[in-house]
Parts: sequence; C-alpha cells; structure tokens
Amino acid sequence: MLSQFDYVKPLVLDEALDALSHHDDTYILAGGTDLLIMLRHHLIDAKHIVDIKGVSELSVFNFVEGEGLEIGANVVVNTLVDSELVKTKYGALHDAAACLATYQLRNRATLVGNICNASPGADLPPAMLIYDATVKIASKEGVRTVPLKEFFTGVKKTQLTKGELVVSVFLPDPGNNDKSVYLRQTRLKGHDLSTVGVACRIDGEGKAAIGINAVAITPLRLNALEDALNAKGITEESVLWASEEIKNHIKPITDVRASKEYRLHMAGVLLKRCFAKIM
Amino acid sequence: MSHTDDNKACAMHTAHVREAHARRVLLEMTVNGECIVEEVDPNMLLLHFLRDTLKLFGAKEACGEGECGACTIILNGKTVNSCLVLAIEAQGGDILTVEGLSKDGELSILQQEFIKEDALQCGFCTPGMLMSARSLLDRHPDPTDEEIKEGMGGNLCRCTGYQQIFDAIKRAAKREREELNRS
Repeated sequence: MLSQFDYVKPLVLDEALDALSHHDDTYILAGGTDLLIMLRHHLIDAKHIVDIKGVSELSVFNFVEGEGLEIGANVVVNTLVDSELVKTKYGALHDAAACLATYQLRNRATLVGNICNASPGADLPPAMLIYDATVKIASKEGVRTVPLKEFFTGVKKTQLTKGELVVSVFLPDPGNNDKSVYLRQTRLKGHDLSTVGVACRIDGEGKAAIGINAVAITPLRLNALEDALNAKGITEESVLWASEEIKNHIKPITDVRASKEYRLHMAGVLLKRCFAKIM
Repeated sequence: MSHTDDNKACAMHTAHVREAHARRVLLEMTVNGECIVEEVDPNMLLLHFLRDTLKLFGAKEACGEGECGACTIILNGKTVNSCLVLAIEAQGGDILTVEGLSKDGELSILQQEFIKEDALQCGFCTPGMLMSARSLLDRHPDPTDEEIKEGMGGNLCRCTGYQQIFDAIKRAAKREREELNRS
C-alpha cells in the first residue's frame, strides 16, 4: 500500500509550476517507473503528486533541420526506439533507448525521467552528452537552459531546485556524415543497469566525442580524452591508445555489478568496439 | 461494481480529474470493452484496482517493480506493468486484460496455442505472457525470433522454460495470419 497523497493533473505548464511551488513534499509523475518504486518502498514521503501527462507543452517531439531535436518531458523511451529520425541522426541514442529495461517499461519510462533520476549507470545520458545536449528547466521564476553535462551533480542528484521542472532536452542537429553508437556491458539484458556503457561519436568533421556511464558519480563526457585522441587523428592505433588511456580519465568503484578493475578494463574494450563500428 | 447500461466502451471522458485531495475520486474507464465507473483512492495502483475492486484476477503481482511482467496489461493499446501505474492515471483509458482475450466463451488462438504447446506450467506468469504476446503479434504478425525475444523480454517464467512459449507464439501467429487471409 502506498502512503496517502494528493493527486493533481494540470493541463497547462503554468498550472503544473503552480502546483510544484506550494509544498516541499511534491513529486512529479510522468512515466512513474522510478517514482512508483520509491513510493512502494517508502523511500520518499510524497504528500502531493503532480501528474504532468496532461500538459501538451511537455509532449513535444520535434526536429528542425539545421537546429535540432527537442524531446519533451512526456516523451516515452519507445518513441525514441521507433523514431527513424533518431535512428538516422542520433544512432547512439537509438541504441541506448533500445537497450533500456523492457518493452513494456519503455512504454511508460521517459527520457527526461531517466536524466532526472540521475543514476550514474543510466543508459541515455552518455548518448546525449556526446551531442552537447541541453536541458530546458522551467519554474515560476522563468526558464533557464543548462548543458546536460552540468545538470548532473552527484549520485541521484541534479541541478534542479524546489519548484523546477524539466520541460525538455534539446539535441543540436549533427548534420550529415555524423555517426555514433552506444554499447554497454550488463549482467542481464534489460533487467539491470549497465556495468559500463560507452557512447562514441565521429562528427562530420571527423572529430570524436566520448560519453560513459557507471564509472563515476555522474555520467561523464570525456573531453580531455577526446582532445588527445582528436590531436592524434582517429586511426586504429590512436583508438587502441585511447582504450588504454581511458583508464586515467574515469574513477569506477567496486559494487554489486562489477569490480573496479573489470569496469576499467571494459571501458577500454567498449571504446574499441564503439569506434570499430563507426570508423 | 457500478457498470453503465451500455456494454460498450465509455462514450466520453467525463470528469477529467484535475484534483484529488487524498480522498476518493470518480474513475471512468473501459475495461475489456465494458464501461467501468468506480471510486478510487489516488494512491491505489492500477493492478490493485483490477484485482481488488474489479475482481479481475488475471494480472498478477509478483515483483511489484516492473521487472517480471506478471502484471502486464494493455492500456490504450500499449503494454504496461500495471504495478507501476496508478489507477487514476488510467482515467478515461481503454484497458485490455487477459480476461478480455476470449470471445463468446471461446479462448483466443493465442490462448489455445499456449495450451497446445504446453507453454505454461504453474501458470502464474501466463496472463502477462499472453498480453505481451498479444501486443507483439499486433505489431509483428509474423515475428522473427529476435522480435519475439525483444517483445517477450519483459516477462519472466520460472518453470516452463521459454522454448514452448516461443513455439506457441509462432504457431498462433501462423494461425492468425491464415485466419486473416480467409476472411
């Protein structure tokens, strides 16, 4: 039995922001695949639930050529899996979405929920970090946009403050001749978070970008490693070098899923495999 | 249970519930083609609403965390884990549970093939398996092994093993396609 709470389902963003601003113990409900588990285990004491699924502004899923793709807070993960545009333009995001949890869970789980839950092992963030994704945040005070890279502040922690709501995530148009892939190592397909997950991209100008999860307190974009790799030029030799060098750029821990040593090793292996797919 | 006289789907989504202050709210939805109007607490799970209020015992509670798929139902055309949905979220919705698969007392082709292929042993996972399989065949009338694996990956079985379930789905797909060609 879940504890008692009020439930409101606003139809416009302003109403949702109003509802959020009143009480501290207010939680946002979109897909609910994380929230309901927390409620079930009484990990949070929610007195007020704001169901945002009625707010059409939060359901935007729109690509503008030359600008990019906006993914609203209500967009479920299977929408990304089924989108030809995501598959063509943002390959790594398609890969990450397709391996997230199970089919029926992806019918509810949202991309924005995945970032707001801020698990270090979440699948979607590395695939968005490599595209310099930004997060649009609204509150009664107004709207602000922050880079996804700065959105995560710790394990299950984000920049969001009281009364704020993520409206959407924006991925700039990568143009043509851009390739990316996401690969993850996991104990059980679907039923587990990644042990290590790596997203790699080579853009139209031949520059590499690397995102990774489950090796630090937040998902990471490995800018320093990218710079070094790009300086060398992307070749089989330089990728082999990067697959060793990556160990100096991450700080994994030993936990139930894997040892620190295994994660360090697999980060390099996955990096190699990723580049082999897009070179 | 207070059903309306009309045995068809709810004609309209009345009383869009905007606010429910920790008290019972009126919920209206279509379940297996029947219009249902019931009062619920905002904190009631859809799974518990189906089982405890409507006495539809097909959907099962096992893990309660969206891992096992025993509670899988079809909400507005999409499979969901009903243990992770509040009843109130299904306001105005259209729900199909395993009880709605048979017609006029006759089991559906999918159910018949599950029996023929011994695709169940204890049967606890079967209602969820059937709903995922229904959704799979709606999306892929002639599914590949990979599509079956992906479509059924959210449903765990601890006794039968999966081969018979694969076989049942393939046979059902074939029979459904044949039936469609005949009609």
